[in-house]
Amino acid sequence: MLLIHCPYCEEARPEVEFVYGGEAHIARPVDPSTYSDEQWEEFLYIRSNPRGRHHERWRHTHGCGRFFNAVRDTVTDVFETTYKAGEARK
Amino acid sequence: MVEIAEVAVSAAELKLGAGPVAGAGVTLSHAGPPARYSLRARDAKVLSDVIGRALPGKIGDQTDGVICLGPDEFYAILPEGTVLPRGEGLAVSVTDVSSRALGLVLEGPAAISVLASGCPLDLASMKVGRATRTVFETVEIVVWRESEERWHVEVWRSFATWLWNAFVAAMPGAHG
Amino acid sequence: MSGFRLADGGRIDRRTKRNFTFDGKAQWGYAGDSLASALLAQGQMLFGRSFKYHRPRGILGAGVEEPNALVTVDRGPGRRTPNLRAPSVALHDGLVATSQNRFPTLKTDLIAVNNVFSAFFPAGFYNKTFMWPRAAWEKVYEPIIRRLAGLGDSPTTRDPDHYDATYAHCETLVVGAGPAGIAAALEAAASGGRVILIDEQEEIGGGALSDPAQWAWLGEATAKLAAMDHVTILPRTTAIGHYHQNFVVAAERLTDHLSVDEAEGAREKLWRIRAGEVVLAMGAIERPLVFEGNDVPGVMLASAARTFALRYGVAVGRKVVVMAVHDSGWRDALALHKAGVNIAAIVDLRRDIAPELVEAAREARIACHPGYAVTAVAGSQAVKGATIALAGVGKVQKLDCDAVLMAGGWTPTVHLWSHAKGSLRWDDNWGAFLPDKTHENLRCVGACAGAWDFGKGLAGGLLPAPKPLHESKAFVDFQNDVKARDIGLAVQEGFRSIEHIKRYTTNGMATDQGKTSNLNGLQIASGVLHRPVTEIGLTTFRPPYTPQSFGAILGHHKEALFQPLRKTVIDDWAEAQGAVYENVAQWRRARYFPKGSEDMDAAVARECRTVRSAVGVFDASTLGKIEVVGPDAAEFLNRMYTNPWKSLEPGRCRYGLLLGEHGFIIDDGVSARLAPDRFHLTTTTGGAARVLNMMEDYLQTEWSDLDVWLTSTTEQWAVIAVQGPKARRVIEPLVEGIDLSPEAFPHMSVREGKICGVDTRLFRVSFTGELGFEVNVPAEHGRMVWEAIWAEGEKHGAAAYGTETMHVLRAEKGFIIVGQDTDGTVTPDDAGLGWAVGKKKPDFVGKRSLARPDIVAPGRKQLVGLLTDDPQLVLEEGAQIVADPNQPVPMTMIGHVTSSYHSATLGRSIAMALVAGGRDRMGETLHIPMPDRTISAKVVTPMFYDAEGSRLNG
Repeated sequence: MLLIHCPYCEEARPEVEFVYGGEAHIARPVDPSTYSDEQWEEFLYIRSNPRGRHHERWRHTHGCGRFFNAVRDTVTDVFETTYKAGEARK
Repeated sequence: MVEIAEVAVSAAELKLGAGPVAGAGVTLSHAGPPARYSLRARDAKVLSDVIGRALPGKIGDQTDGVICLGPDEFYAILPEGTVLPRGEGLAVSVTDVSSRALGLVLEGPAAISVLASGCPLDLASMKVGRATRTVFETVEIVVWRESEERWHVEVWRSFATWLWNAFVAAMPGAHG
Repeated sequence: MSGFRLADGGRIDRRTKRNFTFDGKAQWGYAGDSLASALLAQGQMLFGRSFKYHRPRGILGAGVEEPNALVTVDRGPGRRTPNLRAPSVALHDGLVATSQNRFPTLKTDLIAVNNVFSAFFPAGFYNKTFMWPRAAWEKVYEPIIRRLAGLGDSPTTRDPDHYDATYAHCETLVVGAGPAGIAAALEAAASGGRVILIDEQEEIGGGALSDPAQWAWLGEATAKLAAMDHVTILPRTTAIGHYHQNFVVAAERLTDHLSVDEAEGAREKLWRIRAGEVVLAMGAIERPLVFEGNDVPGVMLASAARTFALRYGVAVGRKVVVMAVHDSGWRDALALHKAGVNIAAIVDLRRDIAPELVEAAREARIACHPGYAVTAVAGSQAVKGATIALAGVGKVQKLDCDAVLMAGGWTPTVHLWSHAKGSLRWDDNWGAFLPDKTHENLRCVGACAGAWDFGKGLAGGLLPAPKPLHESKAFVDFQNDVKARDIGLAVQEGFRSIEHIKRYTTNGMATDQGKTSNLNGLQIASGVLHRPVTEIGLTTFRPPYTPQSFGAILGHHKEALFQPLRKTVIDDWAEAQGAVYENVAQWRRARYFPKGSEDMDAAVARECRTVRSAVGVFDASTLGKIEVVGPDAAEFLNRMYTNPWKSLEPGRCRYGLLLGEHGFIIDDGVSARLAPDRFHLTTTTGGAARVLNMMEDYLQTEWSDLDVWLTSTTEQWAVIAVQGPKARRVIEPLVEGIDLSPEAFPHMSVREGKICGVDTRLFRVSFTGELGFEVNVPAEHGRMVWEAIWAEGEKHGAAAYGTETMHVLRAEKGFIIVGQDTDGTVTPDDAGLGWAVGKKKPDFVGKRSLARPDIVAPGRKQLVGLLTDDPQLVLEEGAQIVADPNQPVPMTMIGHVTSSYHSATLGRSIAMALVAGGRDRMGETLHIPMPDRTISAKVVTPMFYDAEGSRLNG
């Protein structure tokens, strides 16, 4: 079971309190109607799926309830860092 | 194919205990029915002014029964009948959830081990007066360490029967 | 020496006898014995039959590495445990143990013919032979193979035992309580942090238990640790696995070492430990040697013989030969000699052996055969002698003996290190992999770190032999009956990676996970391939380290506590009325309320008729509810739902349709505006948590500028639906402060007031097509209000109805159930809900997707009604639909039935279906092929009753 540092609670908490939220920094366009079908497909379905550093979202659902971002190595599962939603990509 | 007998007791037959259950070094009982509020605000000061109460400053802190659960979220366990103003039109949310949960109390030197049977937090490191939302196995709870040996556990009503019986199962001497 | 019990020595209590049975025969041992040591003391060498060839097998090791001596222990009904390793079973009074995989008895096993024909059972035999005909696999081959090749039988009755579980936290966790582990625990304890020390054996001490010289130190160290409050010592506890960030799961066996009468409380306890630092002190396991006859009972590891003699006071033979390629074999031989065991000879493949070892052996009058290898072992059920040959192929000599000890070097136990994704490095001196690097706060100490003076030796375990490899019957994996030649065969057939060789030969795939066979298998493959072991790699270790009971993994949460069953506050009432239930998500809901001898169809028909003609009462408490509060509440809902919300007046309700960003329906529900800044949302029962999470996601990460907050109120409110032409009359006498007249309280509106003296949010809504109300009251008053409504209802001929009737009534009206009539690929237009999409709204979640080419393309599956030509025939939900029943198979399927019921109101069956281009097929006859016949049905609008909606007003 992973131990995940919640940037809002400022402490490491057990994985069972969290829910994974997919890749991070995929912002919904302000006006989706301006997106071409290709751009919209990219937004909806295309994900980076890297081997190594992955920017991803987690929600501390059974804790403070907040969504936040994390950088996790998909090979080792080691978290490099976690940071609040809205902060710049790390 | 191997036939396995029916379970001795099915989940449907579990009952929520009414009175206290005592085990070795621990008693499980119901907390009295309080007023409960979910409180939200962008600016805690505005909320504090609306309800006329001080609010704890950090996640996990608790002041007079008001627990800070998240950066903009508070959970108030107040004396029965307490009515908080709603602050209509302000950037706050005051919602009465008195009936949503039940409060269970584990008390005694072994209370911490009953809670630790299914709660993954390092409870021994939790300071008296602190409170947090967490889980007991798969069930979401709010744990409040009211004193060294007294733990108040809030759980949504429909999960209370399971949680009560799961606590009893983990209480030394309280099961067969 | 009485029997094989040495006159003195060992940690057994010779004053306390323990009686037990093995294969039904009365036996005895001493307190402190293991099942293996007690039986060996009685001269029992035969412990079981092998997995594939049913060869007689004895004891190989003295610990968890034991591959052969698997037994079943029976502690009464439901308490039979198969596949326990005899050396790890603590002896207690009344122990009932039986051997396994023999038929009918251990000594005369009929299936041992497999052994005679073993040449026909090479690696991959099952894969190659039982491929054809396919149908024979299930009926013929599998049962026979299961009979022939098996371990113990799994229990068939419920396990009556209780299992305990806990989370635990410590600064330092030490796994393995040998000298290195104890030293690490003492050091960690001195710093004041919490320490947990766990060990799989009956008492802590590890290898020191087999070395009397360390017993005094061991006693002092144990006492010192035990006296410290912040140190927890857990013997009989196996670390099953290491998971991320030093999360170690361990199972403590609490009662299996006690007699059934003494056993009290939980049988096992699962420890889920989060540690700051983990210290692995798991020691090393001696490697067997691979030679002809190495599986004859009486051939065992030298270290095992040492443990049996020094810890349990048992000689494994009266005339013992040691076959060593390693100094440790000499050391064990000398220790055994000192303990009173007759060592007849030491054979060592090496010619160059440390002079002090040879000198010590000479002094002990032990014959030494340097440069020799054992090439054959006489005997089948016990050792009757051994043949040795110079360098395995030269001059032959016969040795008289009744036991052969193998000393093939040591393999550090790196299982948990590997679980933690720690890397390994090959060490030539050990002839094994040692721990290298890890990203966890994890370290190895003692033998498992390679930090142990274990002398020198050869790395390879395969002894030279006169026969070529492909004729050899030398075993590598004892538990899975894998021979050296099987590995040779696998390489010959083209397998190169050790992962493939492992799966083809099954080497290392038994319950012992190859603790004694992995390294030998690897080295043999390396030899045959002429490539260094480092290029062939090592197979992966996975949890559990040793086989683990399911009971401990479940902990408290078995049977009734397996998972929560959620009940509403009205559930007890329904139960008292004899309701039949169904599970919806974690909830149980009353499905119907049979009266007298009614079956479901009869009960549902009556309930439906009662709602349509009078009034019905329904417990809708499980509906998901979310309170949406804040100045931007309407703006937020406007962005989330497909329809407009800003214009909704306080006091009014609206049906909300929620899409995913992909444009497909994911939830729906009726919601009410209570105040300008406060909404009461409802969701489907199963979708409550999902919808709340989705809304939080948008609020927190996309529109964090909005001042609005969400609170789950699902369990705050009990919800009682009162539906039917007499609904108003039923609640009228109970309600205060709300004008119920149609003018003041129209359909799709909400009022706050009192019912039965308690606060209510009263909705005028209908999921039945009838005049209807949904009474929301704080949950603790739900039962009281329900009973009051029921009492009033009975005056008007009311029926309580369940989810089945609710489904029928809504289907008559063509209302969808998300998840039943939709499947995650259905758009609002597909479902005929295009009216619920705000055409003028610039944006909402999923809007952009509704313009995607495949969504606007013609021919999409659309929700339609189906009326079977035979009105009494009820279609099967999920049945496939075709346009032409006479087309050749496989037919082109154009849709499927989503909902189907008998409608008592209409006196016929009705169905809803998703059909390609469905709305263009109105009036067409389609066909539903079933196994016994093909059913025809006409496509209609999915609205079967009161299309004009006149009944909403009662």
